[in-house]
Amino acid sequence: MDDSRPIFAQVAENIENDIISGALPEEGQAPSINEFAAFYRINPATALKGVNVLVDAGILYKKRGIGMFVAAGAQEQLKGARRDSFSSEYVRPLLAEAEKLGIDSAQLTQMIAKEANNS
Amino acid sequence: MTTTTTALAQPASPLKRITRVTKLHFANPWTTLGLPWIILGVIFAGSLTIWWLIYSALSPEQREGALEGTEFGGSSFFIFIYMMVVAIQAISITFPFALGYGVTRRDYYLGSALAFIALAVIYTTGLTVLGAIEKATNGWGMGGTMFAPIYFGESAPERIFVTFVLFLFFLFFGSAIAAVWVRWKATGVTMFFIIVGALLVGLIALTTFTDSWAAVGSTLVDLGVLGVAAWSLVLTAISGFAGFVLLRRATPRNAA
Amino acid sequence: MTPTIEVTNLSKHFGKVNAVNDVSFTVEENKIYGLLGRNGAGKTTLMQLLTGQEFASSGTISLFGQPPVENAKVLQNTCFIKESQRYPEDFRPKDVFKTAPWFFANWDQEFADRLIADFRLPLDRRIKKLSRGQLSSIGVIVGLASRAPLTFFDEPYLGLDAVARQIFYDRLLEDYATHPRTVILSTHLIDEVSNLLEHVLVIDDGKLLINEDAETLRNRATNVVGMKTAVEAFIGNREVLHRDGIGGLSSVTVAGLSESERRDAHAAGLELSPVSLQQLIIELTRTETKEFEASA
Repeated sequence: MDDSRPIFAQVAENIENDIISGALPEEGQAPSINEFAAFYRINPATALKGVNVLVDAGILYKKRGIGMFVAAGAQEQLKGARRDSFSSEYVRPLLAEAEKLGIDSAQLTQMIAKEANNS
Repeated sequence: MTTTTTALAQPASPLKRITRVTKLHFANPWTTLGLPWIILGVIFAGSLTIWWLIYSALSPEQREGALEGTEFGGSSFFIFIYMMVVAIQAISITFPFALGYGVTRRDYYLGSALAFIALAVIYTTGLTVLGAIEKATNGWGMGGTMFAPIYFGESAPERIFVTFVLFLFFLFFGSAIAAVWVRWKATGVTMFFIIVGALLVGLIALTTFTDSWAAVGSTLVDLGVLGVAAWSLVLTAISGFAGFVLLRRATPRNAA
Repeated sequence: MTPTIEVTNLSKHFGKVNAVNDVSFTVEENKIYGLLGRNGAGKTTLMQLLTGQEFASSGTISLFGQPPVENAKVLQNTCFIKESQRYPEDFRPKDVFKTAPWFFANWDQEFADRLIADFRLPLDRRIKKLSRGQLSSIGVIVGLASRAPLTFFDEPYLGLDAVARQIFYDRLLEDYATHPRTVILSTHLIDEVSNLLEHVLVIDDGKLLINEDAETLRNRATNVVGMKTAVEAFIGNREVLHRDGIGGLSSVTVAGLSESERRDAHAAGLELSPVSLQQLIIELTRTETKEFEASA
């Protein structure tokens, strides 16, 4: 947890990451609010707010009396959303920094290709 | 995981609220019951040794009545003063502690008063038993007196009454001092003793100037040990009431 | 529903000193509140007033809908653990844990035993021979295991090391999750507790300065760092909480920014960084950082 963004948003994002990576499989049960609160050492009300963001987005759903589960198709939904924001989140800052340093787009493309080969 | 909202407690009955404070005073009985008896025991052992030294140095004819003077001894008087100290300690320390536990001042004071009466009963019983043994064994076989000195009265019922009433007086006088301490700390206690001292000096002066010492003397003689002891109940009641009134407005503060 | 605590125009004067000065607020049921402020700001006096240990000069207090002073019905639902809580000298920790359940209807002995093991508290040692930290852990254990519907912790961890404090925070959260209750935690270690709190009350010089949802408060201020001219141009007439600079660089703390304002700042080549709750409160109480640290 850092202070740069609301804690509940960070909780939501961490859960999203776990769903994208498959650590939380679709139709699998998600940890309870209290478990999230204890794990992140945050107030349960904050954890609830984070989880509710995902419930509202249809990523998680509640089964009465049992707990919360990952919705079917949640992984693809999240990946799609992340792809949509990939450009603004990663590409644009990359270009801005490159421009500051005088790296043109041809050089940049070359650098990306090189890194991709190395990894 | 189940979640249970912490429910408000059912109000405990007044008697239970008061008696749990009483129990608090006996939770660790070292100060109230342990130490005083140990000290008393040590004093008793010391007295026995001295009596034995005197007794064994004398020829059998001289022994008769040699320890009669100990009838006026005051070695067990310590226990009364000590009870005053116990009362002061008990209140000054458990008061802030109990209030943190959500006890009201009223319940606290009544519970403490009950504890003090219990202490008076326990110590009176102890002294009575020891006094009876002392009388039955003719002063521990040597004619010595420690637990049933002459001021406590001549018969067992008299001694029980006088001892009990004296314990009550010192315990409640102690609780009044403790209440002054809790409210105003050292300054308050100093003022308290200055006022008590001034009152005593005033009474002595009044008696002297009105030339009434003879009258006072004869009144005391007329009252007898029992009468004087009975009158001390008035002072006890005043002390107890004063302690209550003072503590009702007291605030537990960190040592200052 | 009646709020757990309702305070209206509460004041407490000691002679000419206004320890608590015309304070009004409510505390909702089953939330963890932080009562924050400098030493001597009036936190302890306020809690003493709330628990009926101190008498108000003016104003009203209601706990569970009733005035607390000498009110057994209300007070038996409270537990107040003080910074320098005193215990009867001849008591051993085990005497404290023997007597506490008499006073707390919800006392959980198993939980207490677990906490005793967590804090490695010696049960048979006399109170006067315990270290400052061990004394504090007794208070923490009583405060947690009592499960009082309204629990006050006033700087409960004097002398406790970082590990022990973390145990306290973890156990508090864990137990609060399964047994929700109203907790008021007074501390100057704001950064350590800021994520535990749901609501924050900041008191300064006897006055209530902040009464706000913790989440809202955390997003209330932002640091703007960059070239002096760019920073000055960006902040314009905004309220500045704090200003710092070195050479041509400038760092300014301003009240929360909207998304579009953030984009503007980035476009202007400025860097934005978060302001912690502690930093924010320090700046709002106009207190030098080092004073806060010195008292920590």
